Amino acid sequence: MITLRNLTCRYGDKTVLKSLDTHFDDGDFYAIMGANGCGKTTLLRLIAGLLTPQEGAVMLDDNNVLQYTARQLAQYMAFVRQHPYTDFEFSAFETVLMGRNPYQHRLQNESETDWQIVEQCLKQTNTWHLRFAKPNQMSGGELQRVMIARALAQQTPILLLDEPVSNLDIAHQFEILDLLRQINREQHKTILLVIHDLNMAWQYCDRLLLLHQGGIQYQGPLREGLTPQNIATVFGVTATLTDDNIHLSPRH
Amino acid sequence: MSRKSHFPLYVLFTLLLLSAMLGCSMLGAVRFGWHEMWHSSIFLNLRLPRIILSVLVGAALSVCGAAYQSIFRNPLTDPYVLGISSGASLGAAIAILLGLEAYLLGIGACALATGLLTIVVIYRIASIGNRMHTTTLLLTGVCITFLISAVISFLMVLHQDKMDSIIFWTMGSFSSATWPDVAIVAPIVLVGIGVVLFYCRDLNLLLAGSETAKSLGVEVERVKKVLLLVTTLMVAFCVSTCGVIGFVGLVVPHCIRLVCGPDNRRIVPYAILFGGLFLLLCDTLSRTILPPAELPVGSLTALVGAPLFIYLLYRNKKSY
Repeated sequence: MITLRNLTCRYGDKTVLKSLDTHFDDGDFYAIMGANGCGKTTLLRLIAGLLTPQEGAVMLDDNNVLQYTARQLAQYMAFVRQHPYTDFEFSAFETVLMGRNPYQHRLQNESETDWQIVEQCLKQTNTWHLRFAKPNQMSGGELQRVMIARALAQQTPILLLDEPVSNLDIAHQFEILDLLRQINREQHKTILLVIHDLNMAWQYCDRLLLLHQGGIQYQGPLREGLTPQNIATVFGVTATLTDDNIHLSPRH
Repeated sequence: MSRKSHFPLYVLFTLLLLSAMLGCSMLGAVRFGWHEMWHSSIFLNLRLPRIILSVLVGAALSVCGAAYQSIFRNPLTDPYVLGISSGASLGAAIAILLGLEAYLLGIGACALATGLLTIVVIYRIASIGNRMHTTTLLLTGVCITFLISAVISFLMVLHQDKMDSIIFWTMGSFSSATWPDVAIVAPIVLVGIGVVLFYCRDLNLLLAGSETAKSLGVEVERVKKVLLLVTTLMVAFCVSTCGVIGFVGLVVPHCIRLVCGPDNRRIVPYAILFGGLFLLLCDTLSRTILPPAELPVGSLTALVGAPLFIYLLYRNKKSY
């Protein structure tokens, strides 16, 4: 279980997150939403132990996330970043194999199990045919799916994803979100997903954390939280809800 | 991602390196046959230590180059381009002025101190923001090299009696290699290379960026500190014995990467073997091309390295 205790984060004078107090239960599929610059990515980086908060703490099962070693954390949660980038050209297979690093000892080569897990993760994300491809031979969406495969290869109970589908075409968006939901249902992984598309979140995610001006506007079941009022407050647009769709228009 | 073992190739290239060492030791201004060789003091006391030292320094500089390229996530870096070699040469010059030239450990310690200072400065300046920018990194290295060569010129003018021995450090040469040099450099280089080999997989992960490496289980800050310390130690002692030799750490890892890909678990072992071979051949060429005169070996490596550097810069221009 991830618990936020009075979590505050500032960049210089600018307070990005103000005294967040909440928790995420095991096995939940969360959409983290909010306007640009409201601290969604900062929140994920704090949870992943990559940033030190000015006040408060992120607790993982009652221990401060900053007390874990990098290796322990990497076995606990995987982080898919918004812009994967590298100058050096590892193939997709080698990239996903890096996800096995937290389980390998130094000077030890990859085991048979590691190779099988990597193959399985590449197949799950529909990138097995790209296994020999270098980053510059892949489209943005293909690269993003390889990064998700690497996160899966870490076999962690928690997955953090920062806008994993914003680079993808609509078919691949469905494919990735289907995969994430399947993982959540079958393997009971906790998934925290930063996502902009309200309709995609509506169709796939169970719970919602809505951030607004550094605080929590709403946390709870997603379909109860995406109300026209909340959407108007956070995004400044008019929303009309139907059974399985949200229609949005600029507010006049 | 090839799973086949490279061990037979390592053995093969080690044998190649050893036979090249033997072959090169027979070349030179004085020639000898197989039997007289082992009784000749030119061979035993001049040529053999020189050949061993050039292999050790070549291996060390190549491995350091490969490590810096992963730590700074930039294929254009090596100890020379980053200014660390110049930084270490300043320490060596200061040690000479302090009258420590008889003690290699003294020179090495001073070179280490200024080398470490240089890398701290580079790291602070170039790591603004999350990603190291090529331009900032290279300009920092160039400026540090300028600054240090200015300081060294100044020191030389002030102490004209010691000018010759200081010039030696700025040019790079193996002509004064002795067995005591080998005895000090060998353990440092061997242990240093061992440490880098130990961290090869972490180097691969660092290429994906510090934060990504950390979420994949690398203690990023600790690994970087250990590797920067160890590599600077190797560079400092190489510079202390043979002066500044540029571009070895750029050329060798780059050529290996072209053939066997970006995996440091392949690059580092091959960098040991081919780095040693490359500098051995350059040094042999420098002393045999115009006998009995000698070219500075640094000018030969620069002749190969600088055009490659410009080519890499040109090719990379498109991606920045």
